[in-house]
Amino acid sequence: MTEERDFEEQDPADQDMVLAIATSPTFERDGLCFAARHSGLYRSTDGGRTFELTYGSLNLQTELPTLAVAVSPQFATDHTLFAGAEGGILRSFDAGQTWFVELLPAPPPVISAMLVSPGYEEDGTVFAATLEDGVYRSASRGGHWELWNFRLLDLHVLSLAISPSFKQDETLFVGTESGLFRSTNGGRAWRELAFAAESAPVLGLAVSPAYAQNGIVYAGTEVAGVWRSVDRGTSWERLSEGLIGDLIAGPVNAVLAASEADLLVLLEDAVLVSHDSGATWVACDGGEALEAGASCIAAPQGLAPGAPLLVGLGDGTVATLAAA
Amino acid sequence: MQRGINWMLNAIRPTLGPLPGIVALERNASRNEAPELMDNAALTARRVIELADRDADMGAMLLRGMLWRVHQSAGDGSATAAVLFGSVYNEALRYITAGGNAMQLRRHLDRGMRVVLEELTAMSKPVEGQARLTEVAQAICYDPPLAHMLGEIFDIIGEYGQFEMREGRTRDLEREYVEGVYWEGGLLAREMIVDLAKQRTDLENPAILLTNCDIEEPRQLIPTLDAAIQAGIGSLMIIARSLSPVVVSLLVASQTRTRINTIAVKMPFTYGIPEAAMMQDLQLLVGGRPVIKDAGDTLEAVTLADLGRARRVWGDRNYFGIVGGQGDARALRAHLAQLRSAYAQMRDPDERDLLRRRIGKLMGGSAILWVGAASESEVKFRKEVAERTARALRGAILEGALPGGGIAFLACRPRLRTMMQGSTNPDERAAYSILLRALEEPARTIIHNAGYNPDEIMVEIKHAAPGCGFDVSTGQVTDMLEAGILDATGATKEAWHTAVSSAAMALTVDVLVHKKLPEQAVEPE
Repeated sequence: MTEERDFEEQDPADQDMVLAIATSPTFERDGLCFAARHSGLYRSTDGGRTFELTYGSLNLQTELPTLAVAVSPQFATDHTLFAGAEGGILRSFDAGQTWFVELLPAPPPVISAMLVSPGYEEDGTVFAATLEDGVYRSASRGGHWELWNFRLLDLHVLSLAISPSFKQDETLFVGTESGLFRSTNGGRAWRELAFAAESAPVLGLAVSPAYAQNGIVYAGTEVAGVWRSVDRGTSWERLSEGLIGDLIAGPVNAVLAASEADLLVLLEDAVLVSHDSGATWVACDGGEALEAGASCIAAPQGLAPGAPLLVGLGDGTVATLAAA
Repeated sequence: MQRGINWMLNAIRPTLGPLPGIVALERNASRNEAPELMDNAALTARRVIELADRDADMGAMLLRGMLWRVHQSAGDGSATAAVLFGSVYNEALRYITAGGNAMQLRRHLDRGMRVVLEELTAMSKPVEGQARLTEVAQAICYDPPLAHMLGEIFDIIGEYGQFEMREGRTRDLEREYVEGVYWEGGLLAREMIVDLAKQRTDLENPAILLTNCDIEEPRQLIPTLDAAIQAGIGSLMIIARSLSPVVVSLLVASQTRTRINTIAVKMPFTYGIPEAAMMQDLQLLVGGRPVIKDAGDTLEAVTLADLGRARRVWGDRNYFGIVGGQGDARALRAHLAQLRSAYAQMRDPDERDLLRRRIGKLMGGSAILWVGAASESEVKFRKEVAERTARALRGAILEGALPGGGIAFLACRPRLRTMMQGSTNPDERAAYSILLRALEEPARTIIHNAGYNPDEIMVEIKHAAPGCGFDVSTGQVTDMLEAGILDATGATKEAWHTAVSSAAMALTVDVLVHKKLPEQAVEPE
């Protein structure tokens, strides 16, 4: 089943691709999701069917390219979300109606990914990865940002993932142009992982929901497929058996781990799902929707067969697929 | 010689453990100066310049040199080394006096020493996280605020990280973390300071010219400035040996005419690190190609491709820094891997330290600890303590930690005892017996120094679970790892290795030769 909807303020330009999607933790009830595009941040309240620009209150004269978006785990009650734009971070405490802008130090960095701590309600911690300056961290609900790049040897950060048990283990991973790094002290310092530089760049990262028990992390790369670590990132093996090995020829734009067994890999032209920890894979029916090129994905209700998947596309639209 | 060794040993033995005795050293009594109070073995030994008995003096100086080597190499463990040395030396001398073969004994001592090193390595646990590092620091410095601060710092900067100590502005400890990398080598001209309040200039997104040339003529810089202008670059950092006043004038004038903000900083110099290595490191950080005088390069041939880039740079009167160098991350990581490999193989402490400093710079990020105290002498003392604790923490991150309180040594005894029981060679059995006795000595001394009876406590430890030792602060036998009583593996192994091999060497000394007019050795050698 494929359903494709246009934005209200449609920008047909190819470069206005959807770069990131974030959904409300209570998406099943409120159908709320956000899509970051070069032309701004868009909101949908009907499960991704229609979108509207959220930056009205900013009275912008020009478009504000928005490259990343993340919502609070307590979004249903705190209505907090963060958007990463070139040179700054926007935060909203009313689900995108009004915004506060926090500028990052010049020269303006490009935000590549954003994450909100699972314990945000208590620790107020948010992370923003950049393409030039490494990782920014705020422990004040986005009010003040500082670089936290100790021992991060590659500041071109493309992907970011956080442990579900961050409060206990303070573990984060970043994927960069040249490899992978892990922090076990909340991003204060990083350690390079034994991930071959020739397999990088790392475009997508996913930490198993059961990471505290199984230590599993996945990495999707531009040129070398999908990799898995079962020892908290210390060593890595490439997933190359069966369908996944045959299908992956190009970049892996995203990896999702919805449960210990359910995985998703987003390619430019396909969405692959596994329900047995990556042993076997099945392609979701994307119809013609993925011809525009899939760039990002969200699985607001997990990866059980039939669950909705929101796929951001290169032409600026969001397609809704059903998980296979 | 034995008299001198034991004299020094008796002065140092009370300093071992978390409840050490204090050694009072006379200063200048005629000036009514108060005695210097010390609780560190190596620093105490360093103050001992000469004993009146010249044979004894040779023994004391031998021990002093050994303790200083342990201190320099590992930062901790010198008191442990002293008691180990004393035990091995005195017991072995007794055996030799009774007719044992010194050379054979030495050979077997060496074998036993290596077996214990293997056991310690196998027993070592990795040290990760601020809490564990703080515990290791506490076992070295016995200063909880300092241990906590150093635990946090080394959790962030890691084993190679750049760490600097400066005299504090207050009575407390303060720390500052600096993103990026900085070197000694400030602005080459005062006219380049833009922020007069901070006496510093910051540039965004600059191109970087790296050269070891002395820039004397304005024409030498014209190609660089032209390349930057044509590429639309708004700021430039020049790292060079020197600039002539006329070149400084050109650069200052060009800021208004060409709208290129320029600073020039001095090529950093670190004694022991070749300039070529320094330039290679800088080039890997920022990219581009350095202009090297010795290779025949000239500034007149500089093109845009020769210029490195960074996100931000800064310079003040003493330092310059680079944040977000735009060099090739893959090349930088490969270079770092080579340096780390060389570091692991390097044995010379000074060479290791230089390599570590290079690695630390390239890893990015540094910490500054501002050490404050009530008086100047306290600041000096606390800085010395912090310095050796920091050295031991680096070792602990690299090599892990062991149960403290002398328990790690006790845990090595079963294997040595098995070896002794399996041998029929009297010299070999004697060597292992001597080492078995020595392995008890650190625990016994710590217990004794804390005011307890070692014989009674050692029986309790013997009957306790493996890994249990005596916590002198609570007076209880407890699991040392769980209680956070840890010793850095590197320092423990260094103490054991140096003590046993030095004692074994000292045993084979047959003749003492004195100089007619001996010179005093102020610094240990």
